[in-house]
Amino acid sequence: MKKLSVLQKTIITLVMTTVLLAVIVPIMFFLANAFSNGTEIYEYPKTPIISFSVTVYVEYNELNNEYTVKYVNRRGEQQNAINSNSGLLLSNYFEQYFSVYKTGDELLEDFEIVKTEGPKEFTYAKNMFHNFKTFFYITSKAEEALVNSIVAVLFTILISLTLGSMCGYAIARFRFRGKDQISVFLLIVRMFPTVGISIPLAVILIRFNLFDTMLGLAILYSLPNIALTSWITSSIFVGINRELEEASLVFGANGFQTFMKITLPMALPAMAASSMYAFLTAWNDTISALILTNDHPTLALAVYQAIGDNTTNLQYAAAGSIILIIPALIFTFVVRKYVNQMWGSVSV
Amino acid sequence: MQNSVIPNQVKPSFKEQMRKVFNKRTAPFWLLLPTFLYYAIFWLSPILISIKEVFTTLDGSFTLFGNFKFIWEQVSFLPALRNTAVFAAVSVILQFLIALTLAIMINRKFKGQKLILFLIMIPMAITPTAVAIVWKTGLISSGWINSLLQSLNFVDETIPFLGLRGLDAVMLIILIDTWTVMPSVLIILIAGLGNIPEETKEAAYIFGASKWRIIKDVTIPLLKPSIITAVILRMIAAVQVWAVVVMVMGFSNVPFLVERIAYYVGPLSGLTGANKLAYTYSFLTALIVFSVTLIYFKVSKRGTALDRGTQK
Repeated sequence: MKKLSVLQKTIITLVMTTVLLAVIVPIMFFLANAFSNGTEIYEYPKTPIISFSVTVYVEYNELNNEYTVKYVNRRGEQQNAINSNSGLLLSNYFEQYFSVYKTGDELLEDFEIVKTEGPKEFTYAKNMFHNFKTFFYITSKAEEALVNSIVAVLFTILISLTLGSMCGYAIARFRFRGKDQISVFLLIVRMFPTVGISIPLAVILIRFNLFDTMLGLAILYSLPNIALTSWITSSIFVGINRELEEASLVFGANGFQTFMKITLPMALPAMAASSMYAFLTAWNDTISALILTNDHPTLALAVYQAIGDNTTNLQYAAAGSIILIIPALIFTFVVRKYVNQMWGSVSV
Repeated sequence: MQNSVIPNQVKPSFKEQMRKVFNKRTAPFWLLLPTFLYYAIFWLSPILISIKEVFTTLDGSFTLFGNFKFIWEQVSFLPALRNTAVFAAVSVILQFLIALTLAIMINRKFKGQKLILFLIMIPMAITPTAVAIVWKTGLISSGWINSLLQSLNFVDETIPFLGLRGLDAVMLIILIDTWTVMPSVLIILIAGLGNIPEETKEAAYIFGASKWRIIKDVTIPLLKPSIITAVILRMIAAVQVWAVVVMVMGFSNVPFLVERIAYYVGPLSGLTGANKLAYTYSFLTALIVFSVTLIYFKVSKRGTALDRGTQK
């Protein structure tokens, strides 16, 4: 093929740069927000760089016998923060608004020098986990929600892999009447919006005593994923060499052993890909969790409820979202290798 | 003594019986049975319940259009329908055009290709709830978008993004949605491009076709199955948008179909009629998605990747 001209190269570079900036800039600002302390979050204009420390300017006011603490932002401007000589008040203020964890005595000891040497700037390291701690503190049931999400994910993977791969195996390996109809049915189930199922499903789950449980949620999440898994695995099972299985049978293994020792390991990439989809469905969903749970939210739902319509104190919700993002990010990219393998032969 | 005799007599007959029930002919039946039971209980019966609810009144008597009339009378119904339609149409087209351009650019080998692909894919892996927060921190009037615009001297005063209503707000949500899901369209298209043999393009080139003609007359027609798959999958997801809308704009400010469902089962749950409205909205949403799926069947016939997968 012909090489690209200079103009074309320039256009491609420009487009790529724009797209990369559009992806990275929001994420950088978001991270900076998630690690902001209670003062930085209201700073304007904002900087897309995470700060790790806080600088304060401290004066001693002899008249009232107290310290005047001013917050120094990253452009060097000073902002009034607190006037006090009480160690407890200072310590509380530093924790709440600066994310700095220091006892009152430590702060007073540091500030003592101001009395003799005049106003001075101090720099303290921020506790980077402050927002995460506060998120779990102000969001009731956040810890439980994290566990709930993991449980729901595991149930979903378990149900959709077991039922889905059985289905996929049947479709791939046996000839029977109505096979085409089954394939079409599975595709319809896959495309059917879970929202439409969630509300009436609540009625059924209540009957089975599964309402407001993670198993109940997993049952819903598995609906599209069983179909998806059976579709992914059937296309893999078709590709697996049948003679290998026959050889195993000839050497005296029974059907189950053959499946466990030969077929299953070869279908592993498909399983990994399917479990990734199952994970993402269960981990990312909020609407069904909203409908099918009462007192036991999943993490995505807890973060959703934590923010509501608020526009203040977004740093805590942002910290909560980081906890939400990390597993999804890791999972997506770890399993991507397998998924890429799949995309070679099958497109999703 | 008896103990050792009886099993010997019973076992073969039991084994034979088992063989009668579990053999090669019945195997697919046994393999499919659990899934069918599962779908009968947890998929089909909810749908039947939902149909029953949609066609009965609050006191349980049959009505054909009663609930649809009820939903029609809601002030937010038409805006919800319009917003969802505009959102689905514009976002899918926008995402498709961006993804196609990028896919064609990324598809040729160059240095750093893998890294760029990795970076572009990050937003796809971010949970929708988190995406809403990423953008909410930007859209508040002291947020990072205003910071950025002002420090680049694009605007003098802060823009109250969260005060936008109507189609302006829909456009804003389209941009957010594009940011997070465009990569998934991109991946399907790149996979499709990878399946096009290099020879076809070379042949066209040898016969004197320009680059633009190759893209227009060779690449895109061959890419059609992937394009259809990507567009339909996106369309189905786009009809169901809600979390981002509620978290960024709040309930009822910019109504969408599924946003309405969340509203009636969330803040309004327990109110007389709210449940009926939720049922009717979810019925309508399901109906729309289902129609899109059927259109997909029609358009794709046997040719697309998805079909190939199921027909194997």
